[in-house]
Amino acid sequence: MTMVVGFAPDGRGRGVLHLAAMLARSGGEELVVCAVVPAPWPPGLARVDAEYQAELERTAQHALGRARARLPSDVPASYEVLHARSAPAGVLEVAERVDASLIVVGPATEGGSGMVSVGSTSARLLHSSHVPVAIAPRGFHVREGARVDRVTVAFGGSHEDLVVASASVAARIGTSLRVASFAVQARPPYTSGVGHEAEGSIEDQWIEEITSAARAALHDESAEIVVGEGEDWGEALEDVAWREGDVLVVGSSSTGPIARVFLGSRATKIVRHSPVPVVVVPRGRAEELASEAASASTAAG
Amino acid sequence: MAISDPPITEPPQPRLIDQMLRRKPVGVMTEETGADREGGELKRTIGLFQLTMFGVGATIGTGIFVILADAVPEAGPAVILSFVMAGFVAGLTAICYAELAGAVPVSGSSYSYAYATLGEAVAMVVAACLLLEYGVSAAGVAVGWSQYLNELLNNLFGFTIPDAISQAPEQGGVFNVPAVVLIWLCTLLLLRGASESAKINAIMVLIKLGVLALFVVVGLQGWNSDHLSNFAPAGFDGINVAAGIIFFSYIGLDAVSTAGEEVHNPRRNLPLAIIGALVIVTTIYVAVAIVAVAAQPVAAFNGQEAGLSAILEKVTGSTWPASVLAAGAIISIFSVTLVVIYGQTRILFAMSRDGMIPKFFHRLNPRTMTPVHSTILVACIISLLAGVIPINFLFEMTSIGTLVAFMIVSIGVIVLRRTAPDLPRGFKVPLYPLVPLGSIAGCIWIIKDLRAVTIYVFAIWTSVALAWYFFYGRRNSALGKVKP
Repeated sequence: MTMVVGFAPDGRGRGVLHLAAMLARSGGEELVVCAVVPAPWPPGLARVDAEYQAELERTAQHALGRARARLPSDVPASYEVLHARSAPAGVLEVAERVDASLIVVGPATEGGSGMVSVGSTSARLLHSSHVPVAIAPRGFHVREGARVDRVTVAFGGSHEDLVVASASVAARIGTSLRVASFAVQARPPYTSGVGHEAEGSIEDQWIEEITSAARAALHDESAEIVVGEGEDWGEALEDVAWREGDVLVVGSSSTGPIARVFLGSRATKIVRHSPVPVVVVPRGRAEELASEAASASTAAG
Repeated sequence: MAISDPPITEPPQPRLIDQMLRRKPVGVMTEETGADREGGELKRTIGLFQLTMFGVGATIGTGIFVILADAVPEAGPAVILSFVMAGFVAGLTAICYAELAGAVPVSGSSYSYAYATLGEAVAMVVAACLLLEYGVSAAGVAVGWSQYLNELLNNLFGFTIPDAISQAPEQGGVFNVPAVVLIWLCTLLLLRGASESAKINAIMVLIKLGVLALFVVVGLQGWNSDHLSNFAPAGFDGINVAAGIIFFSYIGLDAVSTAGEEVHNPRRNLPLAIIGALVIVTTIYVAVAIVAVAAQPVAAFNGQEAGLSAILEKVTGSTWPASVLAAGAIISIFSVTLVVIYGQTRILFAMSRDGMIPKFFHRLNPRTMTPVHSTILVACIISLLAGVIPINFLFEMTSIGTLVAFMIVSIGVIVLRRTAPDLPRGFKVPLYPLVPLGSIAGCIWIIKDLRAVTIYVFAIWTSVALAWYFFYGRRNSALGKVKP
């Protein structure tokens, strides 16, 4: 399979290359690194831009040259300059052409360091991609030869397919799986009248339900399950221990267009506050992977 | 293959005449633009029909929506002949343009063609003309848009923007705000890297054709042969003068040539597409003009704003057809403005790369890959023009600039046949040298009847451009710095 990497034609963004190399190495896949530049206009009065188009091509080739120099040599990769109306459109075009398993993009430039920020390019991708999209946190960096060490899947009590799909991917690339839930409980200045303890027990109850739901989905009583608690999403995500080689998997919302990636409000917040790379999986794709995994295990059993 | 002598680079400045005549070798251009890179996107994918439609789409812009108010008072109902005359000249120039576009293998502007064939100084003059064809016409187009906006507002809400902020000073206003707003809307889109796709382009063509068809069909109800009785009140001179004004509405026909490298069988399809587009466009223009002049007396055209909408309203007595037409005009003129501002910034980009104007103009924003500084400066200047200069003058300046640029292109065809007879050409003008000579003569014929003020201002503008060349361009020319 092939992963498509969106590389900014200004040649910035090492993080995306680090992430792409790590993912490709783990999955034994190859990369298509593409730099998207504005497309020429249709024949007409605007067709006086040959010199401009040539400059775009040159800049993009230069950027890809830098990408080539930076990408570790053990990862097979090809490079492509694409003329498209927008960066997301170009990346999606390539993804469709090569039947990509994953799209890898970098963070927005304005994001805070160390966190995943969704820029206009990745936001559009997240809304229209049929394949999972991986986003690198700002300044993402791994050691040479690093692989995915653990897959953490965000689980909110429903959408078990994603957990199953993540488990099968984790098994395929030979890493451990961890299910993470996030309990965000802002402490209000007043209580609902039942007292802090009662509210606390609601939370405990929720955690218990989530845990058993995840175990049931995985048919595995020993699965690692963690719950991050905090007063806001940042705190809740930090509450969980992260290490190098971690990847967080988030599912798209069921309210989005069928089979496409659309982040619900909770998923969006998880993505924003994640200190590790995030893979956003469209609901339809998660279902496919889950049923593949199910039929594979039936066959094996 | 190089068609010029190697550049002279001894430390003392080369002779002025050598500087002025130095040409950009075609080989360099090919290399710069990657025009013959392997497997690039220059696949021959465009057929005759599609190419013809590109021509129709690029040509029918703003002109026909606004030009009658200026042209009919000059020629009377004989304005129909002015359309035919302007169309004929436009056709000749477009065919010459096609030969140059095919001989110089870059899909650049006539500035690039002139640089490759006639030398640096002439290229600068062409560049000055292109600033009129693009920058000044963008201003004119935006002013035309503001007229239709006002018309639509009036029809829908009974509200018009006061003259003070929707008219140029000469027309009793202070500053045309809606036109400037349009320019900045387009600029914002361009800064974000927006582009027009072939699909949007096709939709725009359909909208334009649709509203013009609506005008002809509905406007026929107002047919009154009496209005045609005094057919040519100002005689042949009037027809000529109107042709000069009308030429504006044929700009874009040459754009067919820029698709040369993507066209199946260009030798056959390029001229056929140019002629086909010309026939279609002229037919539409003449149909619109006949209906318009039969619907109201010549005097009524004078100063009429958003003319086609106003006529429909007069003819039908109801506002909805006028509103539909105005809405169509607003949408399609928006896209014309976008295209023209884009074109202007990219021409400046090419000139800047050649060292003819400061580097400022080819600086790209690394994220959006658009020339942000240049786009903003261009928008400021166009805004100023659109705000204070009346529409007829803007259109006449556009016409004269385009005519001179085309004339130079036609001369370029003749020069290149002499200097590089063996250069492979994708397309050759038929009936050489009649067509280029006819094209040159046609351009001069139309230019001579433009208003004196237009010709003077043009002469001053060209002198400014040449002065710029003497003080800046020839010293900074990238070509002059090439070490052999």
